[in-house]
Amino acid sequence: MPKACILIMEGTNCEEETKTAFEEVGIEAELVHLKQLTGDVPKKKKRNLFDYQIMMLPGGWSAGDYIRAGAIFAARIKSKLMRDIEEFVANGYLVGGICNGFQILLELGLLPGFEGISEEPIAALTTNLNARFQCRPVYVKHINKCAFTEKIDKGEVLQIPVAHAEGRFTFGENDEKFLERLIDNKQIVFRYCHSDGKEAEGEFPWNPNGSLYDIAGISNPEGNVLGMMPHPERVMEGINKAEWTRNKIDEGDGRVFFESIAEYIKRR
Amino acid sequence: MSELYRKILDNLYEINILEASDPELEAISRDRSLALSLDEMKRIQNYFKRENRNPTDVELESIAQSWSEHCCYKTSKPILERTIFKIKAPQNICVISEDAGVVEFDNEYAYVVALESHNHPSALDPYGGAATGIGGILRDVVCMGAQPIALVDPLFFGPLNLPEDKLPSGTKHPLFLFKGVVSGISDYGNRVGIPTVAGMIEFDESYVGNCLVNVGCIGIVRKDRIVRSMAGNTGDVYILAGGKTGRDGIHGVTFASAELGEESEKKIPAVQLGYAIMKEPLIHACLEINEKGFLTGMKDFGGGGLSCVASEMAYAAGKGAIVHLDKIPLKQKGMAPWEIWVSESQERMMLCVKPENVEKVLEIFEFWDIPATVVGEVNDSKRIKAIYKGNVVLDLNLEFLIKGVRYERPYRIVERKERYIDFNPPNLEEVILKILGSPRIGSKESVIRRYDHEVRAATILKPMQGLINKQTHGDATVIKPLKDSLRGLAITCDVNPIFCKLDPYWGAASAIEEVIRNLVAVNSIPHSLADCLNFGNPEKEHILGEFVRCCEGLYFAANSFGIPFVSGNVSFYNEGSLGSVAPTPTLMGIGIVRDVRKVVSVDLKKDGNLIYIIGETEREMAGSEYYQILGLNDGIIPKVDPKKTKEKINSLLRAMDNSLVKSCHDLSKGGLMVGIAEMSFGGDLGVDLDLSKMNGLRTDFKLFSESNGRWLVEIEKKDEERFENIVSHCKKIGSVTKEREIRIRDGEMELNLSLDELREKWNSAVEREV
Repeated sequence: MPKACILIMEGTNCEEETKTAFEEVGIEAELVHLKQLTGDVPKKKKRNLFDYQIMMLPGGWSAGDYIRAGAIFAARIKSKLMRDIEEFVANGYLVGGICNGFQILLELGLLPGFEGISEEPIAALTTNLNARFQCRPVYVKHINKCAFTEKIDKGEVLQIPVAHAEGRFTFGENDEKFLERLIDNKQIVFRYCHSDGKEAEGEFPWNPNGSLYDIAGISNPEGNVLGMMPHPERVMEGINKAEWTRNKIDEGDGRVFFESIAEYIKRR
Repeated sequence: MSELYRKILDNLYEINILEASDPELEAISRDRSLALSLDEMKRIQNYFKRENRNPTDVELESIAQSWSEHCCYKTSKPILERTIFKIKAPQNICVISEDAGVVEFDNEYAYVVALESHNHPSALDPYGGAATGIGGILRDVVCMGAQPIALVDPLFFGPLNLPEDKLPSGTKHPLFLFKGVVSGISDYGNRVGIPTVAGMIEFDESYVGNCLVNVGCIGIVRKDRIVRSMAGNTGDVYILAGGKTGRDGIHGVTFASAELGEESEKKIPAVQLGYAIMKEPLIHACLEINEKGFLTGMKDFGGGGLSCVASEMAYAAGKGAIVHLDKIPLKQKGMAPWEIWVSESQERMMLCVKPENVEKVLEIFEFWDIPATVVGEVNDSKRIKAIYKGNVVLDLNLEFLIKGVRYERPYRIVERKERYIDFNPPNLEEVILKILGSPRIGSKESVIRRYDHEVRAATILKPMQGLINKQTHGDATVIKPLKDSLRGLAITCDVNPIFCKLDPYWGAASAIEEVIRNLVAVNSIPHSLADCLNFGNPEKEHILGEFVRCCEGLYFAANSFGIPFVSGNVSFYNEGSLGSVAPTPTLMGIGIVRDVRKVVSVDLKKDGNLIYIIGETEREMAGSEYYQILGLNDGIIPKVDPKKTKEKINSLLRAMDNSLVKSCHDLSKGGLMVGIAEMSFGGDLGVDLDLSKMNGLRTDFKLFSESNGRWLVEIEKKDEERFENIVSHCKKIGSVTKEREIRIRDGEMELNLSLDELREKWNSAVEREV
């Protein structure tokens, strides 16, 4: 059975529901502490990244995020695990990051990965425009397919919640130049939008954080590394959706995301 | 140092109380901030006469902790025992006696409930105080062996727009406190990964000098994994796990047992510092250890620190214990033994473990990078003993220490004279806009969104309900705690301090009813209650009178409804220089949802549907938001009729189980008008109401009365007959419309209110979302 490694450290806190989400779509998932991969544990607790087909960085506040979201987790990965991860990605395995995980992937230079993994981060998820933590349901439109979203139609609108204080995607002074490249490379996977799919155009609360070009999630050019701010693991069931009491109960919009992953890694 | 003190070590003294005069006894208590009365000092003197020696400073400090109102409930306990503690219920598994109440969830699982105050620390350091409040309540739930699944935060502040010149000196502005507390909850609560799902925010001038920050937690535990807050067997060891012990939080409990004043700022060391990122793995580790069955007992470090934890665990088990202070990991060098003994540093847990399991337990903590140390052991002595650098620095009889004091203090009940008042109704449209724009009524969305209410992916009915980006306040939140079960827990918090100020008895009874109505509104069966009783200085007779009447009101209503109190906390001395806070018996109510797919939300669903009001609207206007805005203090206070309400509950729940109810809202603050407006906001739909079928009240009373026992419900036209057959105490008052307008007719009178205009007022009442 394919296996997912859900990487945790102190302060990650969405790992249980992420694990459940994988199990729901038939993937065995294990919570693996970073130090189990770096070898700083007794032998029986050690794990090898190459025993898994996907590494998922769940949401939370790794190490408290007291410096900059994801910075400490990323620094610890860089110092001891980076070579393994480079090889893992190069071999076509999947690396995903949700919320804090997305922040970490940018810090690591795995995203946007225009020319492979970059030494320094070139994009960031910075403080929400209203300077407040935001827990709210949002709509995102699926823009380009990648290994994580093959089962989702292009243009489909999903309703998935966000919960973050730092989610405003930016390239800083390079916004214009790199955004063009991101679009040309078809690396934008999800954009915040209205319920009918109309562009949010930066308007709060449809775009909850002021993200550049309403960006909610991107992949690397190869499509096997993905980071997104919304939490698909929180909407596996219809009754997890924000408006479900207004409609007939159907599936949660996060399920198809995990199903896509399952299909991809089972096929490989 | 006076001759009362004899030095044993540089940081350890013996205090000569055997020969101390009364003024000297008082001086010792005052100088060391022990908050012990002369009478209590004399009892201590007598005890040491029998022991034939003088106490050390460690012992005196230890007694001061255990005898503080905060720890031993010396004033409140006799009153609680004859009122709310008396309610027995079959679902109770382990209630009142421990850090949190344990109640049956289903055959296999129990849920755990805790609610407490963190008022004084938050009044001084709103950010840190609120954060550590969450830390403390989480540990209360974890130490029962339970996985926390939800947090709640009822908050009470002075008016946010209070003019600076009205602010008493030494007091922080309500807006500063509000922002600090909300940020503290957001930053800490979000980091620990437990959703903050419910709460309330009240504003009243009485909270200017002393804001109230209450915090609650709910957990879930398999019944065979419930842990007691007591030591195990003789020979078991105490393991201290978590944060290091420091000078923060010294004298928190004695500080909590005195009024706030101009000088309170100097007591900042009494406020603990929180560290969320220690808490998260600490929870993981403790629950893993419990799952493996290694625990014989567990208790969190709260008020009174090591002193209270080590003593209370041993006492509860009928045992004794010895603790080695040299083994406690410290934050600062040079801490005196008494400081180590009473420090309230955060993120610490005490585990009691059989000697053969110690290694395995320490290994788990090491994996999670949590410092953990064996610090003592359990014995048969029925005494608590502490050793420091080879000296016995404390050796006390546990019965004396823990069961020390209890008071029947005098109290005075102030009766309120009830009378109707006559006045001409004002312009209704203007008043409606004022009410919706009042901070007590207006949207709390900007605060709710700052708390992660969905982490753990189990929040089925969220605190804001309705169309996305048009959402409105729900009556209760619903959590689905277990993956493989459709059973849920409904959670709500409430109290109306304005009612309680006017009439503590009926105010408290109304709070019970409102909690119950909220739980029923989402289709859950009211199941248990937790209380956090916030009052002024109980040494003042009229304040204790308010407390007594509140407890009687709570008991009357809860007992009549058959709902037990399973956990609670009393917080006295909530007074600033302007006087006492309004009597504030904050309640958290838990309901059982039999099938989460059948919960009912508050937002209107579809045009053409019918609107019914359940229950009678009376001219009970005292304390209503309407009278607040008109500046009227008289009037009749809403009463509670449990028998009648119970009938309505049963029929309403039956209608809900038959899927007849499309939306439902209980009527409370702001009455019918606010109720229907909130339902309309959530569905972004209008209504057309005709109030002439309601009893012969004036229109303004129909709209704004806050009578108990009422709900608004929406049903489909086709279900009209079925619904009316099931629910008897109801009247059809109108229908849902597509036009975004609230249209109200009553005889000649007609109001047409634009939904967008009302929403605009409601949205900007507290803090606008941007």
